[in-house]
Amino acid sequence: MRPRLKAVGTPSPGAAEPLLVVRDLRKVFPVGGRFVTVLEGLSFHARRGELICILGRSGCGKSTLLKILAGFLRPSAGRVLLEGRPVGGPSPERCVVFQEDALFPWLTVGENIGFGLRVKGLDRPSRKRAVRRYLSFVGLTEFRDYLPQAISGGMKQRVSLARVLILEPRVLLMDEPFASLDAQTREEMQSLLLSLRGRLSQTVLFVTHDVNEAAVLADRILLMGKEPGFVREEIPVALPRPRAREDPAYLDLCSRLHRLVRD
Amino acid sequence: MKSTLLPWVIPAAALLAWALAGRLELIPAYLLPPPEDVGRAALRYVFGSPGEAPYAGRFLQDARASLVRVTCGFALAVAVGIPLGILSGRLAPVQGLLGATVNGLRAVPGISWLPLAMVWFGIGMGTTVFLVALAAFFPVYLNAAAGARRVDPLLLQAGAMMGVRRFRGTFAILLPAAMPHIVTGLRLGLGLSWAYLVLGELTGVPDGLGAVIMDARMLGRIDIIVVGMILIAVMGRGSDLLLTSSLRVCFKSARRLS
Repeated sequence: MRPRLKAVGTPSPGAAEPLLVVRDLRKVFPVGGRFVTVLEGLSFHARRGELICILGRSGCGKSTLLKILAGFLRPSAGRVLLEGRPVGGPSPERCVVFQEDALFPWLTVGENIGFGLRVKGLDRPSRKRAVRRYLSFVGLTEFRDYLPQAISGGMKQRVSLARVLILEPRVLLMDEPFASLDAQTREEMQSLLLSLRGRLSQTVLFVTHDVNEAAVLADRILLMGKEPGFVREEIPVALPRPRAREDPAYLDLCSRLHRLVRD
Repeated sequence: MKSTLLPWVIPAAALLAWALAGRLELIPAYLLPPPEDVGRAALRYVFGSPGEAPYAGRFLQDARASLVRVTCGFALAVAVGIPLGILSGRLAPVQGLLGATVNGLRAVPGISWLPLAMVWFGIGMGTTVFLVALAAFFPVYLNAAAGARRVDPLLLQAGAMMGVRRFRGTFAILLPAAMPHIVTGLRLGLGLSWAYLVLGELTGVPDGLGAVIMDARMLGRIDIIVVGMILIAVMGRGSDLLLTSSLRVCFKSARRLS
């Protein structure tokens, strides 16, 4: 058996220890007889309550990274520690909002949002209360009894957000969740996410290829390099919130990010 | 025209054509009796008192016998077909184990099992239930397998991250997600059950709707043959409605996905 490594620097209790530590992550996929390295030496950490955007062009392995964090994939090497413990398979402490529609089509909006609590075994009245609360958080109170097929793409993503927030995950993982929405809906969803994470002090890892999205949302941006994927640069974003899209500092950041992503 | 009338247009036209053909003596009565004769025979068969005439009042007894056979055979097919189908849709080894055999057996026409079934189970209940179960098994199994195979992996991932373990996921996610296919398989299977019921009952059992048809043929009672056919159609349609509505009552996923 492999001796478990001690956590770096043996944290003293109560110290501002990062919530999530990713160290030297490597992921290799077998593709038609040979091996393709998708992630190599990828390291970063996330602090409690932080909103981190993982920015990169398509094919840089950012979705693979998110799947590893969620527990859907196992890393080939490296460690993922959540509160000092290595993460295993999928768990409600690391929930995902997918890009695609992943709601249960046979459940209503309300039942979809209450699904995780039901699995947890929460009694019906508390579940109902929680569902009502999160329905109002995402502005869907009147749509509780609708089926997913009857609501728009933006509303579906609101439901997807509510059904994981209700489980109070340690980290919320978002995989280009607004990429398939129209521009206006996307901006609405971005503001919604910001207001909710402010209210719930939720830690969020948000994968995107959209520079403006990263600039609006992030406390910190991790720029990913390609082939194999790694964290090329860390860009703290100190702009005040709410961020105005006309603010010269914001525009500066965007054009800087654009340049960085292009190289 | 109201759409509620639409389904009745073809039956009404057929009935009219049938009545005209009799009236104009286009078809002699010994080949196809006119509808009023068939109607009278049907009334006597269903509501008459036993002994008043041949076949009078036998309907309840025949229907009960047939229903028991269809129910037993179909239930057997469902009890085996759905679990096996789900397993082989999800687990490659099970699919590998069963796939070729099931498809091979499926190529054997159900009717060719009849002689063997009669040797094994004798005439009556056993043979009929066997044939019904065999015939209904294939669509039930194949559709359950297809449904289980086509479940969006994203739904299973979503379930897993919300804390669903494998066993529970089968009932909380897999079954409801596969429900549209499962319903299709059940309906096809139930339809086939009625077909094979008649086959099983043609072999000389004393009661059942298929037996009545065969019996009437030997006595040259064309009217009773037609009555039997119509009653099988009615009961087949009725059982289909019962099946779909009870699925709707029992499963949200069946209620909301069609």
